[in-house]
Amino acid sequence: MPVVVADKDDQYVLNHCTRFLARDGDERRHDFGQYTADDPRGKLCEAWRYPIIDSYSDGASVEASYAYNAVTFVYDGRADAATDVAVTGTFTELHAQADLRPVAFLGEPSGIWALSVRVPKGQVHSYKLRVDGAWRTDPINPQSVVLDNGRTWSRFFTEGCQIPLSFSRHDRELLGRLVSHLLPFRLKENSRFIREVYEGLDRRSREQQFPLAYRLDEEVGVVNYIDKLIARAENHHADDYHSCLDIIDGLLRTRYPGRDPLMLPRDAFADLYAEMATDQVTGWDTDRYGSPRHFLLLLRRHAMTGAFVHPRHGGNSGTAGWVYLESRFRDQQDRTLFDWRATIEAPLGHNTDYRG
Amino acid sequence: MADEFAEILIIGSGAGGSPIAHTLVRAGHQVLMLEKGPLLRTQEQSPDGLSDFKRDELFATGAEKRLTVPGMANIGEPFFSSHVEPDLNDEPHVYREVDGTDRATIEGYTAQVVGGGTQLYGGVSLRFTPDDLRLATFNAGRTDLLADPNGEVEREARDWPVSYEELEPFYAEAERLVGISGTRDGQEKPTSAEHYQLPLDPNPISASVAAGMDALGMRRYRTPLAVITEDHAPSGRVVPTDRESIKTAFVNRYGDPLGLKSNTWISLLAPIAGDPNFELRANCVVTHLEADGSRVTRVHYRDPAGGRRTVQANVVIVACSAIESVRLLALSGRHDPAFGTRIHSSGLLGRYFLTHCFGGASAILPTRADKSKTLDSDWATDHCARAGWIREQGLWAGGVIYNNTSDAALPISLARTWQAMDMDNIWKGYLSETGIVGGGFEDYLDKNFGRRVSVSFMANQVAQPDNRIELHPTVRDKWGRAVAYVIKDWHSHDQELMRILADRCGEILRQAGPGVEFAGQGGVGGSVSRIANHVLGGARFGTDSRDSVLDRDCRAWEFENLYVTDGAVMPTSGGANPTLTIQANSLRVGQVLLGRL
Repeated sequence: MPVVVADKDDQYVLNHCTRFLARDGDERRHDFGQYTADDPRGKLCEAWRYPIIDSYSDGASVEASYAYNAVTFVYDGRADAATDVAVTGTFTELHAQADLRPVAFLGEPSGIWALSVRVPKGQVHSYKLRVDGAWRTDPINPQSVVLDNGRTWSRFFTEGCQIPLSFSRHDRELLGRLVSHLLPFRLKENSRFIREVYEGLDRRSREQQFPLAYRLDEEVGVVNYIDKLIARAENHHADDYHSCLDIIDGLLRTRYPGRDPLMLPRDAFADLYAEMATDQVTGWDTDRYGSPRHFLLLLRRHAMTGAFVHPRHGGNSGTAGWVYLESRFRDQQDRTLFDWRATIEAPLGHNTDYRG
Repeated sequence: MADEFAEILIIGSGAGGSPIAHTLVRAGHQVLMLEKGPLLRTQEQSPDGLSDFKRDELFATGAEKRLTVPGMANIGEPFFSSHVEPDLNDEPHVYREVDGTDRATIEGYTAQVVGGGTQLYGGVSLRFTPDDLRLATFNAGRTDLLADPNGEVEREARDWPVSYEELEPFYAEAERLVGISGTRDGQEKPTSAEHYQLPLDPNPISASVAAGMDALGMRRYRTPLAVITEDHAPSGRVVPTDRESIKTAFVNRYGDPLGLKSNTWISLLAPIAGDPNFELRANCVVTHLEADGSRVTRVHYRDPAGGRRTVQANVVIVACSAIESVRLLALSGRHDPAFGTRIHSSGLLGRYFLTHCFGGASAILPTRADKSKTLDSDWATDHCARAGWIREQGLWAGGVIYNNTSDAALPISLARTWQAMDMDNIWKGYLSETGIVGGGFEDYLDKNFGRRVSVSFMANQVAQPDNRIELHPTVRDKWGRAVAYVIKDWHSHDQELMRILADRCGEILRQAGPGVEFAGQGGVGGSVSRIANHVLGGARFGTDSRDSVLDRDCRAWEFENLYVTDGAVMPTSGGANPTLTIQANSLRVGQVLLGRL
């Protein structure tokens, strides 16, 4: 797969840089606990936005373009006065190198370098930058991955990604049990409905949209949404999840000796939820995480968002959350009262004026 | 770096800056516009046919961030801003809470993007009434005003230095150029020309509000909205074949990828973008102005990569939205004491800061509607803006009432705005109602999704000298500049006015038909931070240099070539959303300038 360059101009790049990168001073205004104390990213606003993941257009076919994102790599060369910047990674053929271009303002180099490339949706990639001959990880993007050879590379993932990045399988399933108590999709008629959505798709769509179908009847992709959210935009909440899922797993094992927490009846999670709501949970290790209610509220926000978010963000798998509302709320002539398809871009929805 | 030169330099591309730019460029003058935010384009405008705006609920309220501003009482608390609202950690607005603590707030920002607040607003484009512009005259000698023991309401009321009759042609021209759909009959605001496009059919949920208004004898009209429903010649825009598809809840608080919402970029700037006399520089923040005596000579700004640049100009127009315009002028005064002496000559810069008295009522309807297919409002009434009604109530001024249709229209927005009256409290209500879970979650959706209707009022706030914008003593933005400090409170008369108007809104819903479940009513009098993103006053215009910051042409009194054309100029806040009035006044000042250049 040779690099296909996406058509994003200098105005586009600057639009995505000034607010986040341009500033004076060394204050760590954006460190919410997600960075080590010496990580310079704490000075940057929303460093997680890089590389920029956006919609892609080949200028011809919306349908064909919809399978891809435009991924824009940015290097801020103002401090080191870089003269040559390139990128390589798993998104290119045999780690071919692609040059970033100097981004201009008023016809002069701004010091910012950028390259937009086409990458299929649903993927995870690692990459490195070559700055004046030296290879390095992306100094802006906080995501990184340690490869099998022990080397650290930068990482990004594209929209609708279903590949787990943050949680172990056990934690995903435990989180799924918690989430399925928060949201209504566990109720009998709803889970039947979700199965019908899944079963109504052809095999290719199933594999693309529901690779983790085994738990879709419960949580409509919320766990995957949270997995992606704490990998990127809300990385400062990664510790909340890791600590609390560990505490919850431990206290359920204490409460129900000899039983697998994942196999416990729903009431076990309903009881736990009720206790967390009061902030008084028997057996909760408050030295490790002070407020179970705080975590519950975090989970409530993420669950609600993940169930009904645009599927590009990894939740609302196969638009199951929207289809749930669409089918549940209907008028006397059986027309839907949540006609999301009229608004949302084709091929996900039916709107062809709006391209997504 | 050598100075550049511009005949006219305009700072800000929203409702205050764009109309005057349009006027001046069309007349052949050379205009350079600097805008702090990005240039986000519509599908039509972008090279690859994709818009920088999306129909995606996370564009209105993004990922959680945490407040890190030192000294704030709300440090460590989460905040959620849209993709074009400023980051509170980089550039907070700070307000003083009643307990004396300082808190950073997202309230009072418009948006930092080409088009400014008009990119995110709901598009409500009402005129003020003739009486809104002459409240001193209207209240002269009155002794019947409620809750005004010290006579401040009458004493502080001001007539605008321009009358409705003088402003009216510019209202009409703004309506023509911007592109507005609505109806006129029933408005208390006379017009000389009709440029409204036809409104689309109202959302079925609004029938209840229409019934309530009718039952109370309130004449109603279709709320004028800055959303085109027909092809719009002045801006060259074309509507989709399926006009019904224009109605989408992704309007209020979302930029419009199709450019049908008439923000100032698409309606006023894009049509002149190809003119060699016009240049727009996005992502450029002005740090301060420099003067030589009574002439502003130079504007200092940071380019998109943060580099320092300067421009010389013959005329400088400040239109950054009221709080930021006042801040820029005050910061310039700090850089240069001589500038400061002139801009502070009346002692009123930053004073008489205004927002609106606002609030309303809400109800749950027996039948559900598809609220995802709606614009921001369907019906409005000027019933409570009529002189007779205002006097009967013992009030100094009135306001418009209209229904909101886009609130809680989409599933995530229903939750995040649940019991949250402002953007500082987004998510808090839903999250803390932990009973909304499992089967309770379904009950919550059944009861609320597509069934909630609300009616709002937007009315004049009493002007008070101590309601003011200052520079914060310690908090600095990401460029090391002092941030805006908002100090304000409500007058006791405001509280009465809000109580009475909220009750009118409530009555509309109580009369809305059988089975309507009344859910509550109120105003914003319980919170000093509430602003509704209507930031007004702080540099008011007038006819007396001791009583105003700007003259009637919106020129700073002690300067030859410095103008302010955003909401900061307003001596009173008007009884309606302010955008159209800001636009009309900006067109008016443009006409004045044409006679001087």
